[in-house]
Amino acid sequence: MVPPQYYLLLSAAVFCIGLFGILTRRNALLFLMSVELMLNAANINLVAFSYVWGNVTGQTFGLFTMAIAAAEVAVGLGIILVLYRDFGDVDVTKVTTMRW
Amino acid sequence: MLIEGLIAVAFVAALVVFVSPNEYAGRLAAALSLLPIVGSLYMWSQFDATGNALLGGSIAFETDFVWLTLGGLDVHWFVGLDGISMPLVVLTTILTTLAIVSAWTPIDTRQSQFYGLMLFMEANLLGVFTALDFFVWFVFWEAVLVPMYFLVGIWGGPRRKYAAIKFFVYTNIASLAMFIGFIALVFGLGDSVSSMRLPEIAMALRGGELGGFAGLDAGALKLAAFVAMFIGFGVKVPIVPLHTWLPDAHVEAPTPASVMLAGVLLKMGTYALLRFNFTMMPDVAQALVVPIALIAVISVIYGAVLALAQQDLKRIVAYSSVSSMGYVILGLIAYTTYGVGGATFQMVAHGLISGLMFMAVGVIYNTTHTRMVGDMSGIADRMPVTSGIFVAGAFGYMGLPLMAGFAGEFFIFQGAFASTVHAAMPLFTAAAMFGIVIVAGYLLLAMQRTLFGPFRFDGEYEVTEAAFHDVAPLAVLLLLVIVLGVAPDLFFQMIQQAVNPILQTGGGL
Amino acid sequence: MAGIFDFVPAIVLLPFVSFLVALAVGNRLPKGGAFAGIVATAGSFLLSVATFFTVSGGQTYNQTIYTWANGLDGAVTLTFGLLIDPLSAMMLVIVTLIATLVHVFSLGYMNDEGETGLPRYYAGLGLFTASMLGFVVADNLLMAFMFFELVGLCSYLLIGFWFREPGPPSAAKKAFLVTRFGDYFFLVGVVAVFATFGTAAFAGSESFPHLAEQALHGEHSVNTFGFEPRTWFTIVGLLVLGGVVGKSAQFPLHTWLPDAMEGPTPVSALIHAATMVAAGVYLVARMYGFYALSPTSLSIIALIGGFTALFAATMGVVKREIKQVLAYSTISQYGYMMLGLGGGGYIAATFHLMTHAFFKALLFLGAGSVIIAMHHNENMWEMGGLKDKMPVTYYTFLSGSLALAGIVPFAGFWSKDEVLYETLVHGLGGSPILLVAYAMGLLAVFFTGFYTFRMVLLTFHGEPRSQTARDPHGVHWNVKGPLVVLGILAATAGLVNMTPVAELTGLEIEFLHQWLGHGIEGLTSHHYVELLESQAGYHAAEIGPIVPGLVSLALALAGAGLAYFLYNDAEPTEHTDKLGGAKTVLYNNYYQDEYQVWLANSLVQPFSRGADKFDQGVVDGVVNGVSSVSLLSGNRVRRIQSGVVSNYAVLLTLGLTALILGFGLLGGWF
Repeated sequence: MVPPQYYLLLSAAVFCIGLFGILTRRNALLFLMSVELMLNAANINLVAFSYVWGNVTGQTFGLFTMAIAAAEVAVGLGIILVLYRDFGDVDVTKVTTMRW
Repeated sequence: MLIEGLIAVAFVAALVVFVSPNEYAGRLAAALSLLPIVGSLYMWSQFDATGNALLGGSIAFETDFVWLTLGGLDVHWFVGLDGISMPLVVLTTILTTLAIVSAWTPIDTRQSQFYGLMLFMEANLLGVFTALDFFVWFVFWEAVLVPMYFLVGIWGGPRRKYAAIKFFVYTNIASLAMFIGFIALVFGLGDSVSSMRLPEIAMALRGGELGGFAGLDAGALKLAAFVAMFIGFGVKVPIVPLHTWLPDAHVEAPTPASVMLAGVLLKMGTYALLRFNFTMMPDVAQALVVPIALIAVISVIYGAVLALAQQDLKRIVAYSSVSSMGYVILGLIAYTTYGVGGATFQMVAHGLISGLMFMAVGVIYNTTHTRMVGDMSGIADRMPVTSGIFVAGAFGYMGLPLMAGFAGEFFIFQGAFASTVHAAMPLFTAAAMFGIVIVAGYLLLAMQRTLFGPFRFDGEYEVTEAAFHDVAPLAVLLLLVIVLGVAPDLFFQMIQQAVNPILQTGGGL
Repeated sequence: MAGIFDFVPAIVLLPFVSFLVALAVGNRLPKGGAFAGIVATAGSFLLSVATFFTVSGGQTYNQTIYTWANGLDGAVTLTFGLLIDPLSAMMLVIVTLIATLVHVFSLGYMNDEGETGLPRYYAGLGLFTASMLGFVVADNLLMAFMFFELVGLCSYLLIGFWFREPGPPSAAKKAFLVTRFGDYFFLVGVVAVFATFGTAAFAGSESFPHLAEQALHGEHSVNTFGFEPRTWFTIVGLLVLGGVVGKSAQFPLHTWLPDAMEGPTPVSALIHAATMVAAGVYLVARMYGFYALSPTSLSIIALIGGFTALFAATMGVVKREIKQVLAYSTISQYGYMMLGLGGGGYIAATFHLMTHAFFKALLFLGAGSVIIAMHHNENMWEMGGLKDKMPVTYYTFLSGSLALAGIVPFAGFWSKDEVLYETLVHGLGGSPILLVAYAMGLLAVFFTGFYTFRMVLLTFHGEPRSQTARDPHGVHWNVKGPLVVLGILAATAGLVNMTPVAELTGLEIEFLHQWLGHGIEGLTSHHYVELLESQAGYHAAEIGPIVPGLVSLALALAGAGLAYFLYNDAEPTEHTDKLGGAKTVLYNNYYQDEYQVWLANSLVQPFSRGADKFDQGVVDGVVNGVSSVSLLSGNRVRRIQSGVVSNYAVLLTLGLTALILGFGLLGGWF
């Protein structure tokens, strides 16, 4: 059995990559991808702990997360399309109309 | 199931009126609001409770079943009536109908929403006065604010937004203080209570089951909770110095909303004070008798003095409400049959009389479109009937014998003077009683300047006698005030039966 | 036993019904509801007379008839009841008689003069009469207070009858407010009586005067709030006295009464003779058994009375309007009654209450008749010579004036003389403070004689001094009738109690003494005399009534003679001008009004405005300050909301890191 630390390290690595992407990228598409990475990092954790504890609750939640991620992508892509149509660009730092 | 029926009827009526066309909404709402009156009067005729809802004895129309479970505490749907809440339920139903009728003339936009909100508010008010489970009660308590916010904010005067937000935020923050206080008590009681039912909590508190919580020992926790709840309810009453939302809300509110605000909403504060602070924690109340009595006296005198300085008729009546509600606090702290019973009676009496006064001012305003004392004089020449009822109502407000206000005030004075909770109570009572002189001063002055003297009116409107449906609610209220003044026992018997257990079974009294 | 007493409630209810009738359908009735009022008050009068005769047969009645608030579990029960004893039976007759006559007179004064709003007027009269009768028959202090207040309301409504003019509403407000100020103390007194004794009944073994007496003997313990029982009873008595001072227009709360002349003259007659003003004195007589326990209260009552008698009489000397003179004479005469009560002369004061009711009603109605004749001009300097034009008015008015001045054998002489005599003998008998009050009362006799005849001479004698006085408006039977009835009574009512004559001849003719000597145990004059001796230390000195009587008669005659000497010219001059500055002071009522108006306008008003500023600025300022602070800080904090998603992401990350670090530090991970 693979010790859980490895899973956690993997998950942390994926999470950090996603986080890095969110903090540095300005393209909305890349943004979305980074969010997906972070979600999947969480998923890895869920599944890993499920495996360690020997019950399926974590895996169930993993499946739920995937379903939600799919929906999220759909919504996210829709937003990006609208963004492009209204602003002619997908640079998230230029779209600042939703501020105080 | 009568209480559920009563509340449900009001809710359904609100929904029906919401979707009805504007032209018919007023008539429809008035007709539908007769149903709760019939219901409450029927309940009054069948009323047989002899106990206090919180301290045992029989309760009328009780329903109690587990609704949901919350963190080890059961939430019950638990409603019932005793001698304290029954008069207030009758008051609420009657005053709602009259307020709706008085709205026919002044409300000329979005009528269906207006009347729907009035009925929605009635339903929640009935809930407040009947609920005996804290959770249920709190939901109704908060829900009352919502319709009032819109009533002031949409149909109000020029500064309606300011007034509505001030009213809402002020009372909501107060609810928060009260909520924290009460929940701290529930946590302090720990396992000795298994539900949020008020009787259970009251008995546990009076039985000395309170433990420490959050680093406070039982005594400190009780004191802190008492103060938090006193402040929370005190804003509703309102007590000085937490009263400043009231004049603004009244002045900006449309007349029917003012009637409900002064007539019933203020009574929520004193009702809750009686139910929570003074019933559940009599020992703390009596330890704090001097500050509470002082607050009462200051509310009476300060409110009256402020009313003396006002030029706006509605502001005069608003500040005098502060003054009158001070008497109620004085009666509550007396812990005698006449003191607490008189305070409860005064809630009903003041509800009727302040409603009458606000309506009378509203009728004059409908015609003149001004409420400023200096803008008119000699109105009695053109509006004799309205003025006559205005004078009668003003004398009722001054506590004229054989009108309800005198009965309430006299009971309170008598109970407070004879009270043994503190040696200085006679002095506090005598000081508060001076309010009856000041109230005569400002009402007589206002009447002399507006109603009497040579007719003069600076506005461009024609001043004529009001329509029948404007005057009729006034006459009905005046009649009720006189009936209650001649025969206070109609309510005072049941009030005493409900009040006496508070005085007798005092935990540690 | 279905006796006459079962109909006593009707005495009160009949005028109340006439109030309802006049209010509801007065517009459709002939004479604006006047007949309903006349029938009702006349019915009450007949019932009162029947009651009077039943009481004179030795029967009394003390019965609770309605429970207003039933106290459970030992709480006090508040009730209404009837107490018919000689005192209240006598008062019932007086009130109903005067009320009936005033109703009749109003036909001439109001209806014939074409007034509008008559249903309102007669409704007010009916309610006024009903309230006063309810007060008279009250069997406990609370009920008395309630009707006392209703009387105040009615006076407000009637004084302010002509509400379209600026004066009457103001006068009505002042009347209600000043008496309310007194009633405040009264109400505290009522509450204190309940708290002390647990009852407020006037009569019986469970009545508060009786319990107080027992408490002083140590036979019964009551809650005296840590005071000596006698001290506490004095305090309570003085509190109740506050209401009396207000309603009976005693110094310093007398200022409302002259202003109340703004009302219709028949109303003035009713207010001053038989109802509102009489109510105060009647209350003291009603609970005399309580006051008799406290010598301090009695001395204060006597001093207030004596001072008011003198003080008001001096102001009456310089007035120009006929009704103003009468107003000040009313204050002064009620001062005498208070003097009598404080001086231990219960019967004397009651006697004066009765005779004064007759002659003062007469004088007001007579003045009303003159005012009709003068087309509502009240200035005496524009009258004169009316004697020949209106003989009925003149002779009846003269009868009332002789009674007021206290000239033998008219009614006022006997009663005023007895008041002074009682005060004197008790003063000499060991209560020297009463002698001060007596001296003031005696001096006032002179002024009374003077102002009374100054008024008569200026009004009726000499040459007419204006066009209207030369050609006065005639008056009808409905004016003359009441005047004649009262004129006869003013001349003869004193004969029921001629103490000096009884002393001289040894005849048993002091009927009022016998009348008030029987009745309910504890409420008889004999009991009061006992109480005065044993509790208040009042002892009567051995002086006959003849010499003091002659002294006061001589003073009255001197005053009248001086007035005759000065004013019996065809064209009298204002001799009071010679008083110089004193006249100004007197004419302005010793600036009593000024200081009270100053209190109201220059002290209370600015104070309330200051309180309003404080409320708006400080109390509400704090509230608005809290909202401004939150708005301002919200304004600053919202800058974080930059709209750039990357910034939010940075904040999120930093927040998470901070959170983890915080937990780590607290949890000791490092």
